[in-house]
Amino acid sequence: MSCDNCEVQYHDYYSENIYTWCTNCGNYGISAALKRALVATSIPPHKVLLAFDIGCNGNGADKIGGYRFHGLHGRVLPFAAGAALANHNLKVVASAGDGATLSEGINHLVHSVRNNYNITFILHNNGNYGLTTGQASQTTKKGEHMNTSPEGVITDSMNVARFVMELGGSFVARTFSGDVHQMSHIFEAAINHKGFAFVEVLQSCPTYNKATPHEWYMERIYDTITIPNYDNSNRDWAREIATDMENKIATGILYHDKSKLDYYSQLPQRQDIQTTLVDEVRKTDVKDLVASFR
Amino acid sequence: MIDRKRITIKFAGESGQGVNSLGEIMSKLIKNSNLYVFAYREYPSLIKGGFASYQLNISDHPISSTTAKCQLLVCQSRSAVHEYLQTLEKNGKLIHTLTKLAFSAEEQEYIAENAIETQYVDSTKLAIESGGSKLMGNMILLGVVTKLMGADLAKLEEIISIQFASKPDLLEKDLICARKGFDLEASVLPAVDISQLDKNNTSAQYLVTGNEALTLGAIAAGTRIFYGYPMTPSSSILTYAAALSQKTGIVVKQAEDEITAVQMAIGSMFMGTRAVVATSGGGFDLMTETISLAGITETPLVCILGQRPGPATGMPTWTAASDLNLAMYGGHGEFPRCVIAISDAYSAFSQIQNALNISEEFQIPVIVLSEKHIAEGLFNVGDFSEMTLDIKRNLTTEESVATERYADTSSGISPRWLPGVLEKTYLGNSDEHLEDGDLTEDAAAAEKMMNKRMRKLSTLKGQLPLPRVFGNLETAKRVCVGWGSTLMAMNDVLATELGSEIAYIHYDFVYPVNLELLRGFMNKPDDVFVIENNQTGQFANLLEHELGVKFHNRILKYNGRPFFFEELVENIKSLMSNS
Repeated sequence: MSCDNCEVQYHDYYSENIYTWCTNCGNYGISAALKRALVATSIPPHKVLLAFDIGCNGNGADKIGGYRFHGLHGRVLPFAAGAALANHNLKVVASAGDGATLSEGINHLVHSVRNNYNITFILHNNGNYGLTTGQASQTTKKGEHMNTSPEGVITDSMNVARFVMELGGSFVARTFSGDVHQMSHIFEAAINHKGFAFVEVLQSCPTYNKATPHEWYMERIYDTITIPNYDNSNRDWAREIATDMENKIATGILYHDKSKLDYYSQLPQRQDIQTTLVDEVRKTDVKDLVASFR
Repeated sequence: MIDRKRITIKFAGESGQGVNSLGEIMSKLIKNSNLYVFAYREYPSLIKGGFASYQLNISDHPISSTTAKCQLLVCQSRSAVHEYLQTLEKNGKLIHTLTKLAFSAEEQEYIAENAIETQYVDSTKLAIESGGSKLMGNMILLGVVTKLMGADLAKLEEIISIQFASKPDLLEKDLICARKGFDLEASVLPAVDISQLDKNNTSAQYLVTGNEALTLGAIAAGTRIFYGYPMTPSSSILTYAAALSQKTGIVVKQAEDEITAVQMAIGSMFMGTRAVVATSGGGFDLMTETISLAGITETPLVCILGQRPGPATGMPTWTAASDLNLAMYGGHGEFPRCVIAISDAYSAFSQIQNALNISEEFQIPVIVLSEKHIAEGLFNVGDFSEMTLDIKRNLTTEESVATERYADTSSGISPRWLPGVLEKTYLGNSDEHLEDGDLTEDAAAAEKMMNKRMRKLSTLKGQLPLPRVFGNLETAKRVCVGWGSTLMAMNDVLATELGSEIAYIHYDFVYPVNLELLRGFMNKPDDVFVIENNQTGQFANLLEHELGVKFHNRILKYNGRPFFFEELVENIKSLMSNS
């Protein structure tokens, strides 16, 4: 049990439910890193809304504390955006897989980025539809044999981080499910970002993604902190290093624009109003408004 | 046949010619002349061209229906003349602005047979001669009609002055043109002379559309955010709400599609504000998965479904009441919901408040059915701002959170508290879940939760008010039953001599449906006439299904037009003599 003034502890997010993910699934690390980031940012469970999409990540919805919502496939972003607009006193963190985000709900990704809603979005990119037993997604490598494309995928794989940068994303990060330490730091920075914080987690799927297992990533990833003088406010530079997804894969906070205002902060009618839309639900006199129809 | 005196005038032209402005200014003039008005718009799904009309029905009693026929027709385009000429009554008058207007042989015959007077007014030329612009031809026409109706020029000038106060340089010219038009006519046209009507104190009243009343009702009930995606006839809810945002602090979000709009709405409602999402049939189709989500997660959700004829794009700017089945059955799986149908500006204002209360009290999706005819109809109403309901949210207070969010209860309604409450967090889960929201696939648990949720429907049914009854059910020879805009026409039908022979049962709450009054007619179902603006009799089918008797006598209309007053009188009479 947390309290309003206590220091937030890792076990505040404890759930007694047993994980149902496969052995070695990247989700274990992601879930642990998310808890660590929430603790590091001192957000108690009652001050967060964790919104989950449908997919393997969503099966973790009842294995963590906090207010949570487990919605429809592909729709977590508009749900989270609507929640964040209603109450800016709670942090909203949305999670979804590559299938949901880049196929069923790609319009939501586009518009959430463009609107710069104040939410953190963790994209679980494991390169396939795991829960439905291994169909190709938009990030499956070209040529891979998946169960609905037995002769090999003929579509190019999508570079999501670059796509979000092109849309004008204000925070674009990439991390790896095998590195809980880096993930925790990036999630923490994403939570602290005011605006749409996009985090792509390169996630191993030991059961269905044989092309890019844990070891494949380990051999290729590097952290942008190892690039001398790397300036993550330089979008051209960020685009350049985000491009390679085959040989040297950049992780870290690739791009960060701290000046871009989030959607709610720009609403003219909400300037100088401190209350939330949740606080304001009350019977309202409309006599003056009706009078204009005389 | 018409017991109440009624004057009908119609402005018609192409879209883009200012037909609506003419109609709105004239409606205001009629109201300010202490008469009742109801205005009805027809227009194509085009920015320019086609034919559009704005019809005013005027009476010395409150009216809410439109007639098929009119006595004065003012046309600014040839297509409008050919479309509407034969809606003129005997001794009616056509005013047009068209040089060398040619009538077909059939039209000439109609004009001769009905002693229709036609008059050419070169409004554009007159406006330019008076120093005005081409578009000020409309002011000439307003002046002409004001004179023909025997209305007060000073009142017209006052309305124009208020309407165009923001353009003072043009205002003087507008007024000159209106006076010029007024002076063109030598005398009042007896058929539309308003002196034949008794005066009431309507100048103190209001003219409001159904959509404006819905928006105001939602705001009165504490709605702080509106979501939608443009689609006729619901777009103007977003437009009007947006116009109020600076004054009220409400947020209006035009989403990228209807799925987004409804998802954002359920997100906002889950957090605990009041949100409303508005769409039409096609948009609601896209929303149905989320309606089902609201069902299982027991998240309040209110959706306004402004109906228009389908299938698919159908006739986008016309009216229908053909999405009742969609509202009742749209969405996969089985879960409780409520469907409320509005029938005029008053009910729009109050029922949206009911919808928000019910959605929170019962934690269910509520669909508010509107129709293009109501959404865009202009209603002459009294001060409805007092018709507010107390807000009912049924929230558990912070101190008393001791149970589970989805606890099984005798009413089916579980305690609900909002995210942010310290005591106990929970999961809103689209997967079947246990009382704490955690996932389950256990057979007994799933059945228990299905039963718990569906129990709310019986609880709700027990609390919904009876349908409204007009006339005397005991003595009536026949009983009409309807929902939605049927009431608008029936109100006026009941004021004719038919009123002594029939009674009318009107359902505001169409689902779940209260059958109490209708049980009395189970042994004489042929005495019941179900009147609906759709092809298959969707509400009659629901009643048949629930009551287990057949209602063969149905008056159905599905050509994009509402029930016209005199047409419905004839329909009922003919059904009475044939059954």
